[in-house]
Amino acid sequence: MSVIDIKGLHKSFDDLEVLKGIDLTIETGEVVVIIGPSGSGKSTLLRCLNFLEYPTEGEIRVNGELIDPKKSDLDKVRQHMGMVFQHFQLFPHKNVLHNVTIAPINVKGISHKKANVVARDLLGKVGLPDKEKAWPSQLSGGQKQRVAIARALAMDPDIMLFDEVTSALDPELVSEVLQVMQDLAAGGMTMVVVTHEMGFAREMASRVIMMDDGNIIEQGTPEQIFGDPQEERTQAFLSQVL
Amino acid sequence: MTLINVVQEYFWGFLVATGMTLRLTAVSLVLAVVIGLLFAFLKISRYRVANIIADAYIGITRGMPLIVQLMFLYFGISSIVALSAFWAGSLALALHAGGYVAELLRGAIQNVDRGQTEAARSLGMSSSKSMRLIVLPQAFRRAIPSLGNQFIIGLKDSTLVAYLGVPELFSKAMTAAAANYSPFNTYLVAGTYYLVLVVIFTWMVRKLETRLTPYRQEATR
Ligand SMILES: Nc1ncnc2c1ncn2[C@@H]1O[C@H](COP(=O)(O)OP(=O)(O)OP(=O)(O)O)[C@@H](O)[C@H]1O
Ligand SMILES: [Mg+2]
Repeated sequence: MSVIDIKGLHKSFDDLEVLKGIDLTIETGEVVVIIGPSGSGKSTLLRCLNFLEYPTEGEIRVNGELIDPKKSDLDKVRQHMGMVFQHFQLFPHKNVLHNVTIAPINVKGISHKKANVVARDLLGKVGLPDKEKAWPSQLSGGQKQRVAIARALAMDPDIMLFDEVTSALDPELVSEVLQVMQDLAAGGMTMVVVTHEMGFAREMASRVIMMDDGNIIEQGTPEQIFGDPQEERTQAFLSQVL
Repeated sequence: MTLINVVQEYFWGFLVATGMTLRLTAVSLVLAVVIGLLFAFLKISRYRVANIIADAYIGITRGMPLIVQLMFLYFGISSIVALSAFWAGSLALALHAGGYVAELLRGAIQNVDRGQTEAARSLGMSSSKSMRLIVLPQAFRRAIPSLGNQFIIGLKDSTLVAYLGVPELFSKAMTAAAANYSPFNTYLVAGTYYLVLVVIFTWMVRKLETRLTPYRQEATR
């Protein structure tokens, strides 16, 4: 079944049309990697998926249900979607454990005890079992991002959205975050990943989507996109980043 | 009366009146924070009417002399409901300070990175929950120095409530000065009380600021 199904998605900011008619279906268990030049609308597309931005036009279905941003319970919709940001956005006034438990406790109403058990398990999985008492400002960028992933996973989402989550990291910290994402993908998590890490795309993507100027101009398996790109703009983009 | 005599004569009396001054200041500041928060929300609301109401309130409270507001509100309020001078004075001080607190809380709220709200919303928090759990704690922590400053201003402003007949420090000083014909020494002593309060309070605010563990730094825009 498709987790997300988008038809004819347009998004404008005032006069600027940023998404110009996107059709996209994401199936359960897929790892969809979105690539494309800066300003092509990758972040905006991702942010439309969990309604941090409202579409100007078009239909978005989540788990089969048509979502109307004005009428649907978006808080509920977002509970099923985890998002990880480029700049971490950990809550600086909460320690690591509380960062991970705050949503399950306050949104889902889970008991502190149960939330702590889940959080400790997740912190173990992202390789930070001994950091639960640390403050975000005491962590390296790579550690912060792994906590952010654990925080999103604590809501037990159906799909995870990643927006250039390694772009703000020092080069030597990138791999520890990618490793966690690989583990997630291997575990069957449905993922949409905007990234400039072509190595990750090549290895982990079930599908690569190339965006340019508000459109999906080409998509296919990593072999197709990296081995035999059809579009000139894809070729030009890849020759720049590879 | 010599300075020594004044101190001997009024030390305890002034101290008791200082208690009243502190109560006035504390009550009015707590109310001012409630009022300020309300108008800060109106000011950042996406509804135009709310913005206008907030602007009007902030403009009026900042644009008129406090003593005028105090008299206006005291006689205004007490013509509607029977309030003691203490409560009328506290309320009037609070309404006045509320305009300033609204502006400084609005600034503090808007200075919290938008990404914090987005992160909270992406976890399924409602807008009110993300405000209460994520934005406000950071905004308040960052507003501590300016709220402390507002408290000091409020402490000094509370002298004006003497004209409503509240037995606080300044009114006691006025009464004493009129009775002992030594205004210079009397006001010197009363002024010293205020100065000591401000020094103690400034120290406490600084302590509070640094005590909020060095690790709990805020996400700034
Ligand atoms: N809130 C906004 N208001 C106005 N314009 C916006 C807004 N968000 C994005 N844009 C514009 O939309 C266009 C696409 O932005 P978007 O962030 O989606 O691109 P991107 O593909 O993620 O780029 P990058 O690789 O640099 O992150 C850009 O021109 C950007 O300036
Ligand atoms: Mg982007």
